[in-house]
Amino acid sequence: MENSNRKRQSLFTRLMNPKYVMVYATIAIFLIIYIFGAIQYGDKGFTSLRTLVISMFTENAYYGISAVGMTMVLITGGIDLSVGAVSSLTGMIIAYGTARLGIHPLVCLLFAFVIGIGLGAIMGAGIQFLNVPPFIMTLTGMFLTRGCCSLISRESIEIQSDLIDALANFKIYIMWWNSDGEWAKIKPVCYINFNLILFIIMIIVGTILLQKTRFGRNVYAVGGNEQSAKLMGLPVARTKILVYAFNGFCSVLAGFAYTIYVKSGWNLALSGGELEVITCAVIGGTLMTGGVGYMVGTLFGVLLKSAIPALITFNGNLLSWWGKIATGALLLLFIFIQRIVVLYSARKKQK
Amino acid sequence: MKTKKFNWSQITRSKITWAIVAEILILLVCFIIRPDFFSISIQPSTGVLYGSLIDIVNRSAEITIIAMGMTLVIALGGTDLSVGALVAVSGAMALKLMRWDVLEYNTPGDYTVYPFFLVLLLPLVTCTLMGLFNGLLIAKGGMQPFIATLILMVSGRGIAQILTNGKQFTTMYSPFRMIGQGNLGPIPMPIVIMVVICILMGIFVRKTAFGTFVESVGVNRSASRLSGISSDKVILIVYALTGLLAGIAGLIYSSRIMSNDSNNAGINYEMDAILAVVIGGTAMTGGKFSLVGTFVGSLIIRTIVTFVYYFGIVSEATMAFKALIIAVVIVLQSEPVREYFAKRSEARAARKSA
Repeated sequence: MENSNRKRQSLFTRLMNPKYVMVYATIAIFLIIYIFGAIQYGDKGFTSLRTLVISMFTENAYYGISAVGMTMVLITGGIDLSVGAVSSLTGMIIAYGTARLGIHPLVCLLFAFVIGIGLGAIMGAGIQFLNVPPFIMTLTGMFLTRGCCSLISRESIEIQSDLIDALANFKIYIMWWNSDGEWAKIKPVCYINFNLILFIIMIIVGTILLQKTRFGRNVYAVGGNEQSAKLMGLPVARTKILVYAFNGFCSVLAGFAYTIYVKSGWNLALSGGELEVITCAVIGGTLMTGGVGYMVGTLFGVLLKSAIPALITFNGNLLSWWGKIATGALLLLFIFIQRIVVLYSARKKQK
Repeated sequence: MKTKKFNWSQITRSKITWAIVAEILILLVCFIIRPDFFSISIQPSTGVLYGSLIDIVNRSAEITIIAMGMTLVIALGGTDLSVGALVAVSGAMALKLMRWDVLEYNTPGDYTVYPFFLVLLLPLVTCTLMGLFNGLLIAKGGMQPFIATLILMVSGRGIAQILTNGKQFTTMYSPFRMIGQGNLGPIPMPIVIMVVICILMGIFVRKTAFGTFVESVGVNRSASRLSGISSDKVILIVYALTGLLAGIAGLIYSSRIMSNDSNNAGINYEMDAILAVVIGGTAMTGGKFSLVGTFVGSLIIRTIVTFVYYFGIVSEATMAFKALIIAVVIVLQSEPVREYFAKRSEARAARKSA
């Protein structure tokens, strides 16, 4: 009895740790926006499960998948601008491979993985061994990848593949007891598709990698203070290269999800996607200086970022451009909260 | 004692040298493939200089102008991602002022609703204020430059679209056309504007103490504050200046197409400008900077683009070429490689003296 009580208390104190404040802020602001939407547009269906699952989770699943890798890169104190281009290249490879060369999409995907992970590892190595700033290194990677996309084809290629079709049509409908006492699809119809499952799996994988493995602790250590990590004998070079390689993996997976979503490959797809992904991670409480960040935060970052366009769609009168401005304002707000948290904890430490 | 002795190792270690070598190499390749690449002639009908080289310099004007400000920003150890969005804002605002009555008279013509000086002044003031906003967030808010400027980068295009209600205006107002398509004597106007700005910037940073202040703040902000430099003021001025320059680039861009294109105006300009600065030898970590290097870097970027256009390669593939050349320059400029060269030349010198 006493034992379990102590355990619960320790869990509570653990959850109250100030390092989670940013994550709580993200969740709180998401809830505020959600409740605002519920009050304002509840009668139009803002609160329905469909809006939550489809327009907030599913339609942004590819950004979310990519944000998992980006969160890790940001925690090491780096940045990766190549993710949008790598995702786009994945789509191009799958589209060109299946439509023009008749290769099985899974083989194409495997090839894309090799390229994505390889490019990530090369960029990581360049950042580590040549001392090139991550910004410039990954910018070069982005230009190279985008250029390659255009070299493959300038027009968008439609994908006709049974596997891609099957994955795109894969839907688990959410059922509920209806008034007659039998299982039926809830209305409005809401379903969970392949991308959403992939997104959730990646968030779980990311959380386990970051919180439960030695690799994850190395990532935090490198981001917290690279010099100390090196002095402690941690494998800094290996960790950094692995992080960028993992991010490459995530970008390819995100590209795959996007390809399933649009069923075509386009050389300019997801341009600017890297900044969307970074925004998701930052809104989710990841510090750009490195060392702080959680996958749960990123999950809510994606939700929060997609809640704004949903609100604007429900309003119906506003130009969709307001979404961009609102995202900018949200970023501003979050950075201010971050500053306050950092200042506050610094003052606490001084005491 | 310093003599005018030709110091080989100093030259190989200088980052600008590599940038200039790269530019010359690309131009040589162009020349070998197309011998008429270097020919410059005067177009008889307008009396304007005409040729590939002129075209390269002309088209590089926007990036060069922005990169001048970006050099100072990077010398401060920051980045400014918002310049591309500011280009869009400036263009949208200028067109809005010229075509305010677009609903009543929807045919573009040689007229402006607001006086021309306002058409030029207001966008520039707006962009300067937006730059100042970036500076305030960084200097007073203590934010990371990347994130602080990301805010305007994300929302800037939204602001530009809302200014024009998401519409694309066109105009045929001739004084406005002068900015991007006109000429001063035989020289195209963008080149004139670019050269004037480069010279003014050069005077501003090298003939006043401002350049030294920037380098000092870039190396160590708190140390320079303790030594009596108002770091915050330096940061504010630099970001506001970059905003102003982005505004000028926006006017040139929209004057070239005589329209506002908030989706595509200035897209990837921030990336190109940062690349120009880095190729030009200014380190992302802050400190020493070189405006001449930036100028060369911007020319390199534009030369690659022109190169690709000229030889019939799909234009979007430009990026791959850019990446390859930038990769080479980056590797040559990276610390380990330069140290290796420095060691080798030292070893050679030691062998000679021994």
